[in-house]
Amino acid sequence: MPERMSFFIPRESRIHSLNPLTKLTLAFSLIIIAFFCPGLFLPITINFLVLVPLSFLGKVGKEFIQTSIRLLLPLFAFLFVMQSLFYPGGKTELFGIWIFSVTSEGVVFAFRTATRILVMVSSFLLLLLTTHPSALMSDLARRGVPASLSFIITSTLQIIPQMQAKAATIQDAQRSRGLDTGGNLINRIRSLLPLVGPLVFSSLVDVEERAIAIEARAFTLPVEKTSLVEIPDSPAEAILRWFLAAVAIITIGYRIWLSLSSRI
Amino acid sequence: MKLIDSIKRDFNTMTLVMIPVAIAINVVIGQIVSLLKLPVYLDSIGTVLVAAICGPWAGALTGTLSNIIWGLLIDPNAFPWFPVALVIGFVAGWCAVGGLFRAWWKVIIAGILVSLAAAAISSPIQVYLYGGITASGSSFITAFLLQSGRDLMTAVLSTNFLVEPIDKIATCLLAFVSARYLARFPRPENIMGSSSR
Repeated sequence: MPERMSFFIPRESRIHSLNPLTKLTLAFSLIIIAFFCPGLFLPITINFLVLVPLSFLGKVGKEFIQTSIRLLLPLFAFLFVMQSLFYPGGKTELFGIWIFSVTSEGVVFAFRTATRILVMVSSFLLLLLTTHPSALMSDLARRGVPASLSFIITSTLQIIPQMQAKAATIQDAQRSRGLDTGGNLINRIRSLLPLVGPLVFSSLVDVEERAIAIEARAFTLPVEKTSLVEIPDSPAEAILRWFLAAVAIITIGYRIWLSLSSRI
Repeated sequence: MKLIDSIKRDFNTMTLVMIPVAIAINVVIGQIVSLLKLPVYLDSIGTVLVAAICGPWAGALTGTLSNIIWGLLIDPNAFPWFPVALVIGFVAGWCAVGGLFRAWWKVIIAGILVSLAAAAISSPIQVYLYGGITASGSSFITAFLLQSGRDLMTAVLSTNFLVEPIDKIATCLLAFVSARYLARFPRPENIMGSSSR
């Protein structure tokens, strides 16, 4: 069976043993705070004083930093170059290159956007590195999310690696009968259909088989389902979740109040 | 309730097993296309396919979940873009109900409609979340428009209206070709032409 692909790293830690919903709530609250609270340096503070220490507590600190750099560095480089050169309405010129001028407004704007995105991506990353997607889905299903929804997500996570293997096989097969997947643009466009066609059709063949399989197991019956895997949860965590949700709601309220009072 | 009936009609067991396959098609083909370095994404073929053969609600769900899965597996940057994928599935679904998936030249019209909706939804997200600049080549067009005096929203909108149609027309055509081979789904009449009605 092919390896499931995900960010998840199986280790024993305090963060791993938290309930998935707690980690999900934490991620959402941090994102809301980063986006709605005023303060230029707040998002980067959240990242380095909350998320990074938590990732080390979860024993995934190295992977956390590596993955966030891999995911975000190209975007941030692009963002800083483009925004500092092209930010509209920038007045304070820091220095000029040829016909362009770098304005401090542009740099500040790029910094604000980049640090918010940093919090958004890395708080999800913390969740994903320490939580198996299936654990998250079965916990959500236990709390009343429709079973068909968690079926869709977990079975997608299984199908994708299988389909990637299939795609690799098709690519090899087409290359061995002389399909050129390199070269100029026209060549690459023409090579698309022989790769995509067999992949789509062969996967659609499996669909009917799967439908029969789950109908034969009474999946669509409207009865309460039991779960094989028990996901730990504690009252303390429930309190933490409500606290985080309250902080997030207060943040949004504060922001609305702030924008209303500035308009008067 | 007409709305609930319309939603219910989209979801039978075939839809339920089709959606994971469609999401996998989105992800895997998206990866192949970026490997071939084509100037398009083609990462919503599965979404449009489900939208056409199962209906707009199933299409919207496929799009949304597709972005969530993309975020779970590949890049958490994909999460905030889920409304775009939702709208792609939804609009493509109604295009199919309206008969735009019955002939290849009509599919091009559907592709244009889908791309307009996608551009309208993705532009505000791009402006408010990313300040208008993302790490794709089309941001150079945005920067050029900004430099020539347009405001940020206009620049981003025009860029997206310029870039999206090519991708979405190709997506819809590929989904159309694949969909011709299927008929057991809730809305086969959308793609089979007038003879089967």
